[in-house]
Amino acid sequence: MIDFGFKINPSSTLDLDKADLTLYNKLVRMEPEARMCMACGSCSATCMSAEYSGMSVRKVLLALQRGKDVSMMLSNCMLCGKCTMVCPRGINTRHLILSLCRIYDKEGLK
Amino acid sequence: MKENVVIIGGGVAGLEAARQLLSLGYMPIVVERKKSLGGHVAQWNRLFPDMTPTKDLMERLIADTAQANIFTETGIRFINRLKDGYNVMLTNGVNIYSKAVLIATGFGLFDARKKEEYGYGVYDHVITNADLEQWFNGKEDNRIPESPQSIGFVHCVGSRDVKSCNSQCSKVCCMTAVKQAIELKEKFPQAEIYCFYMDLRLFGKKYEDFYISAQKDYGIHFIRGRVSEVSERLEGRLQVKSEDTLSGKPLKVGIDLLVLMSGMVARDENSEIASMLRIQTDSDGFLKSRDNIYSIIESERPGIFFAGACTGTKTVPETVAEARAAALEIHNYLSR
Amino acid sequence: MIDRIASGFHPFVIPFVFGMVFVIGWCILALVRILFQLTHQDRLAFFKSLVNPKTALRNIKDIFANCLLHVKLWKRNKLLGYMHSSIAFGWFMLIVLGHLEVFIYVPHRINLFYYPIFFNYFVSEADATIGGSLLFFLMDFFLLMVLSGIVLAMVKRFRSMLFGMRRTTRPAFLDRIGLWALWMIFPLRWIAETFTAHISGGSFLTAPMSHLLVRVLGDNIPVMPFWWAYSIALCVFICVLPFTRYRHIPAEMLLIPRRNAGLKIRNARKGLAKVEVFSCPNCGVCIDACPMSVKKANIKDCTVYLNRQIRRGNEKRIEQISDKCLLCGKCEAVCQVGVQGPTIRVAQRSIRKYGLSQDYSNIDIQPLVDAAKGSKVVYFAGCMTKLTPRISTAMESLFKKAGVEYVWMDRDGGLCCGRPMLTAGRLEQAGQMIAMNERIIKESGAGTLVLSCPICYKMFKEHYNLPGVKIVHHTEYLEELVRSGVLKLEKGDTFYVYHDPCELGRGSGIYEAPRKLVGQAAMIVDAGHTREERSCGGGSLGSLTLSFAQREAITKASLADLGVNHPDAIATACPLCLATFSRYSSRPVRDIAEIVDIQSNGSE
Repeated sequence: MIDFGFKINPSSTLDLDKADLTLYNKLVRMEPEARMCMACGSCSATCMSAEYSGMSVRKVLLALQRGKDVSMMLSNCMLCGKCTMVCPRGINTRHLILSLCRIYDKEGLK
Repeated sequence: MKENVVIIGGGVAGLEAARQLLSLGYMPIVVERKKSLGGHVAQWNRLFPDMTPTKDLMERLIADTAQANIFTETGIRFINRLKDGYNVMLTNGVNIYSKAVLIATGFGLFDARKKEEYGYGVYDHVITNADLEQWFNGKEDNRIPESPQSIGFVHCVGSRDVKSCNSQCSKVCCMTAVKQAIELKEKFPQAEIYCFYMDLRLFGKKYEDFYISAQKDYGIHFIRGRVSEVSERLEGRLQVKSEDTLSGKPLKVGIDLLVLMSGMVARDENSEIASMLRIQTDSDGFLKSRDNIYSIIESERPGIFFAGACTGTKTVPETVAEARAAALEIHNYLSR
Repeated sequence: MIDRIASGFHPFVIPFVFGMVFVIGWCILALVRILFQLTHQDRLAFFKSLVNPKTALRNIKDIFANCLLHVKLWKRNKLLGYMHSSIAFGWFMLIVLGHLEVFIYVPHRINLFYYPIFFNYFVSEADATIGGSLLFFLMDFFLLMVLSGIVLAMVKRFRSMLFGMRRTTRPAFLDRIGLWALWMIFPLRWIAETFTAHISGGSFLTAPMSHLLVRVLGDNIPVMPFWWAYSIALCVFICVLPFTRYRHIPAEMLLIPRRNAGLKIRNARKGLAKVEVFSCPNCGVCIDACPMSVKKANIKDCTVYLNRQIRRGNEKRIEQISDKCLLCGKCEAVCQVGVQGPTIRVAQRSIRKYGLSQDYSNIDIQPLVDAAKGSKVVYFAGCMTKLTPRISTAMESLFKKAGVEYVWMDRDGGLCCGRPMLTAGRLEQAGQMIAMNERIIKESGAGTLVLSCPICYKMFKEHYNLPGVKIVHHTEYLEELVRSGVLKLEKGDTFYVYHDPCELGRGSGIYEAPRKLVGQAAMIVDAGHTREERSCGGGSLGSLTLSFAQREAITKASLADLGVNHPDAIATACPLCLATFSRYSSRPVRDIAEIVDIQSNGSE
């Protein structure tokens, strides 16, 4: 790389027009409950694997809606079901995670 | 002889309606299950937004309804349709004929023990909003430490939560939490106070002023994240876990006193009342109004009226306004 | 008794012979195929078990008790038990006695396998002997037994409620053919034998009718049509047998030795799984037993339908049914054949492909290893107990009262036991968690591991290798403390009903310890259904797809059954049951640890 003495930072704006929502749309088709999240964060707070991988169902759902990759967060999920227990909207987060792991299969790791 | 109007429930709604009906020339008969009048509100210490002592409001209401016929520690045995009115049999054996019946049975306070992960009734320093008001009223409570270093408020306990069987918003808890946080900060200026909320719903007159004051004048911390679990640390201090959703990180904090904002829920007895009067309960468990815009105080049956929180969560001013509207509507109905 | 027909043959036996050759051929083929599907080790173990006299004896005993006498069914429902055993055992005895007759009277015909079946056609009575009439009496007696069973079966088909079955399966078309053929076989045999009884002899069931017929019709009795019809009915039944529910008869005889050999389901569709699926008699006992069937929409998700869909290869339905199940194990407990519904379902889940597979190698467990050190007793509360602090608080208080030094290894977070992952069919991930937890516990140097969650308990008991570590659920542990006098219980006057958590009761066979504790600490009343028959409270992690709303009806039905004897409160021993019941119960719900804590004093 030639050093021009300055660099251009990539824009930190989320451009929703350009976000790739394929994964989110697929998930919502399989798990319509995913739309019900009100981002309270109960799932993230109670999660056993959050401290290792930053797992948070809330963040996963948000990231998918912004077209981002979430595979890292899911990588330590132990499927213990605590997030499902505490969800005030009654979302079956446990199955949502399983479905997501399967969608990745068909899409290929992004 | 003045015409009878039976009012079921002697809280703010029932008493205010009785006051209005008296001045309209009727004989209100207030039936209250508990020993004392005033319902949940009478247990409160001060009311937002003016920090009005509840005692003042109650004294005024009770004084103004002295002419009414009031039965305390009395329930309804049964109600029958009779001619164009209702025959009401009370548990004390009194039988009343009334052409109109006003239901002002109010709400139930969510039993915080049902939200076991918050530790009410399990840990020593967990109380509810109602307990705190009692303490403000001078009742002793050894769950409240002498000089807490940190205090937590948990919003939405038993409201907006299908796991507590109530997915509705209780409307008043956000404001109550802000009010109580300020009051506690005044008592314990050294304490750090954290409010754990999902959404702050401060919609009423001057509520936002309270919020601003809580931030600016009292330094209360607002954390956007619902508490998921409370545990006890080895040294005995409570540990509260939530997500700080704004920074996207799990959060834990040591707490010396935790206040749970128990929500307003539909009374368990509502379905009983509904089947006795052949009216309906709504999908949220509250009694069903004819519609929720124009006829909130009317039921689908002639002569049965509602006032206050029996049809949904209400603030005190809303309840007072409904009670007056119901009294007027009853007057119109009876003068037809 | 002498041969009546010199050739020892008549064309009417052809349908039967054809059927028998067909069905035996099919059975041998199926057997060979399934044996090939087993892993080499399993196959070896299976053959070894067959020649081991102990297991061989057990096989014979089990086949006799289950396939013929239907002992398990008798225990559950006497009428159904009689119905099944009268047909199976009666038929079996008819075959055995038929052979005996041939062996005694016409031993040179023993090589003709149709002879014992149609014995009465081929012989004529030379002289009446006591032995002969005893045999005839027994033959008629067992025929009557089978006929009575057939009558009951007909009544049951149209009025299942009389047999205590609210719901039963709808038979498929071929099943109906098999059913009607089965119903026809014995009445036809009765008529055929009656019509020839004046020649061959008979006993109380056939002889009197025969006398009457001879008097009315003389020699013009239409004998042949009924022997033909009998043979054809037999042929139809055994020909459709491999394709109907009746295949469970040969399959079960294979299933029993296989299970006694200790083989486990290793493949979702092949080997033992296949035998299990084919052993399902389609009786539908699992429908009423299934906690999900409180909702009509879930009826088609019971084990009997899972087996049907697996046989049909309907992948979409197999997945739906497998994922919905609570894995409570009640269907397996009530199943007469013992079809392992939950295990078959987990096997189906395990063949699913996931592009994203969890991996825990990045987790540094050293802090957890250090946190668990320092005591002989390690307490593992489990994930769910974090949400039910009443249990862990009571346990801490009890450890203190009993003067036990302990370490709460997951006080500040820990790892899941792996069971939720295992039941989701992701065995490799579960294995990683097992390895990590094993290391934490082994390095702690503890001798006793106390668990509060039955889900963890079952997992640690069955899938962990922790030599020298005593693994106990807190109910067992507390019961021992009380028994040895370390904890003293004061009997309270609250009436409790005890709910057996699935994983503790059916899953781990612990029924007594919790009952003893409740009995000593309080008064105890029974639920409508207890022990093996207790219905899941609806909170189970076993189900992957049941939504929160769908579980409500299950919980409420289970609560209603707990309340039949009007207890004051509900006792249970599982954090999930506690949380689930508390949500809807009008009565207080308490864990046994809590009850013991309220009612106990330390020994000092």
